[in-house]
Amino acid sequence: MIRIIATKELRELARDGRFRLAGAVVLVLLITTLAFGWRLASSVAAEREAAQKAAEESWLGQGDKNPHVAAHYGKYVFKPLGTLAFLDPGVDPFLGVTLKLEAHKQNLAHDAPAQDATAIHRFGQLSAASVLQLFVPLLLIALGFAAWTGERERGTLRQLASTGVSMNHLLLGKAVGLGVALALVLVPAVGVALAMAAWLGAGADPGWLGRLGLMSVAYMLYFGAVAGIVFFASARAPSSRHALVALVGFWSVTSLVVPRVASDVAARVVTLPTPAGFAAQVRHSMENGLEGVAREERVNALSTALLARHGFEGAEAMMDEATLQGIELQAEAAFENEVLDHHVAQLAAALARQERVAQWAAVASPFLAMRAVSSSLAGTDHAHHRAFQVQAEAYRRTLVQTLNDDLARNAGDDVWKYKAGRALWEKAPVFAYTPPPVGWALAHQGVALATLAAWLLVAWALAWRSMRRIRVF
Amino acid sequence: MAVLEAIGLRKAYDGFVALHGLDLVIGAGEVFCLLGANGAGKTTTIQLFLGFIEPTAGSVRICGLDVAQHGLETKRYIAYIPENVMLYPNLTGLENLEFFNQLAGKGRVDRAQLRAVLGEAGLQAEAIDRPVRTYSKGMRQKVGVAMAIAKGARALLLDEPTSGLDPKGSNEFSRLLLTLRERGVAILMATHDLFRSKEVGTRVGIMKHGHLVASLATDELSHADLERIYLEHMHD
Repeated sequence: MIRIIATKELRELARDGRFRLAGAVVLVLLITTLAFGWRLASSVAAEREAAQKAAEESWLGQGDKNPHVAAHYGKYVFKPLGTLAFLDPGVDPFLGVTLKLEAHKQNLAHDAPAQDATAIHRFGQLSAASVLQLFVPLLLIALGFAAWTGERERGTLRQLASTGVSMNHLLLGKAVGLGVALALVLVPAVGVALAMAAWLGAGADPGWLGRLGLMSVAYMLYFGAVAGIVFFASARAPSSRHALVALVGFWSVTSLVVPRVASDVAARVVTLPTPAGFAAQVRHSMENGLEGVAREERVNALSTALLARHGFEGAEAMMDEATLQGIELQAEAAFENEVLDHHVAQLAAALARQERVAQWAAVASPFLAMRAVSSSLAGTDHAHHRAFQVQAEAYRRTLVQTLNDDLARNAGDDVWKYKAGRALWEKAPVFAYTPPPVGWALAHQGVALATLAAWLLVAWALAWRSMRRIRVF
Repeated sequence: MAVLEAIGLRKAYDGFVALHGLDLVIGAGEVFCLLGANGAGKTTTIQLFLGFIEPTAGSVRICGLDVAQHGLETKRYIAYIPENVMLYPNLTGLENLEFFNQLAGKGRVDRAQLRAVLGEAGLQAEAIDRPVRTYSKGMRQKVGVAMAIAKGARALLLDEPTSGLDPKGSNEFSRLLLTLRERGVAILMATHDLFRSKEVGTRVGIMKHGHLVASLATDELSHADLERIYLEHMHD
């Protein structure tokens, strides 16, 4: 029975030129945004790879110098582009790509692509994800707003009711028909996206296929929720015109107004320091210490602890200058890391508070929930950016420690005359960013996914309830 | 045997009573024509049989089943032809018939058979595969009759099915009803057409302000008698 109704719905849609046109427009938009995103992604990925290679070479080729001077000289790392970033660039274009790792400092990534956006970049901003998040709901509205009102206005609803068909079957049949119509538009686009992702390769993210699979499931939840809302409005509205106005109103409030208000509210509730302000805070603590403990005091304590750990306590007089210097440097680095950890943790907490505001806003907007889930699965949200920063920072500490260890071990008495060469630079590990596993991304999006599921359930409960009370004429 | 039954049937809309305790029994092969001015309660009666509205008191039964309790089941036995049979304009006559017939739970019927039914209902062969948006009203009414035939309906509920049809169309429609009547279908038809009522009806009922004020067998009646009685009742 459901198949019969779905077939009739599809046949009607297929014979209506307006729906064919709307479907074709969305498909063309999807393919175009995919193509632009893919082209941009493949060139950007290659650029970053080349830049990373050049940075490694300049590190290795820096010549003979004191290891701590090398630690100051530092090393550049570049955030690799995730395999699925071409589908959904998320906040990536607004976040830094280049990160300088050096002694005493935790830098923030800079050189966001949006800073030097060209025309092609701007077009790239209309990503396949935004077509899916914004235009597909409009397509669903266009295909479905008259699902019930149209039947009533044409007088076919009473004809349907007189056949003895159950309204449940009718609703399910209409839903399946709409779903198949949407699939006709989406399946070709998904095929194209799969081919593009496979071509971009798993180099940057071995888990991309799982992420793409979950992304598809999340989008199905989203479209399902929108379809439920469309059927609800169509069953409740006194006329097709009312249904259309209400649905377009709902779309613009949830997709345009709520996100705007939410980001304003988030910025007002939780103020984030500017990059310069953050740097100033860090500098202040670096000079004056944390929480009332002066820098000197803390460094000495750490130094004593290090000496104790190595069994040198009380034997300073017998040790060579380099070892002491090395230990001093380690203690300073440890102090600096404490300061950095403190400030970065504060920043992360502030960001998390902002994200919580955004998550609550998603209760009023399935679009926001979908946007969060989508960019998380594409690996292009703030959380993934922080994961990159965290890995880079861990790497920086290993790098600095490797260099300081070498200084302590090999420099002898004349610490600053000591020079190390290529052999040491090669000993330092190469930075390789490992994107967090899919499960990690999912865990971060638990609330957003639950919100989407709740929208789906509530929308269909309403659609079902209003359908049972529908007026036949 | 009673196919359509109304027992003490009453319908009130906050304060306004559309139907005052109607009692009516229509058996197989009977055609009951409901006459009366607009607002007399004819359409209300038909919608109560269809279960589109619920009675305030009393009950309606189809083949012995109470419509209020067995809404979907009772619809298996009936077919409904409103003033304008409304179909899906972008589907052909055949596709519309096939769709509604499948919804009526008749399963997949051979298309050749459905074509034959449309032919039996008087639809020209060349129209069968045309989209319904090109159909005249008369053609759509014929698809409505075809739906009733294909469904094997035991009762037909008609709400002014011939209003607006030209005399030829109206005549064709009446002949279709006579065929169905001979097959033992029970027919309840609301109409303004005294002439057709006398022609196809076995009985006529005259409604006024929600009351069935007269119920007459047509074979004891001439056209002139019917018109006179009708007009007498319409006089306030």
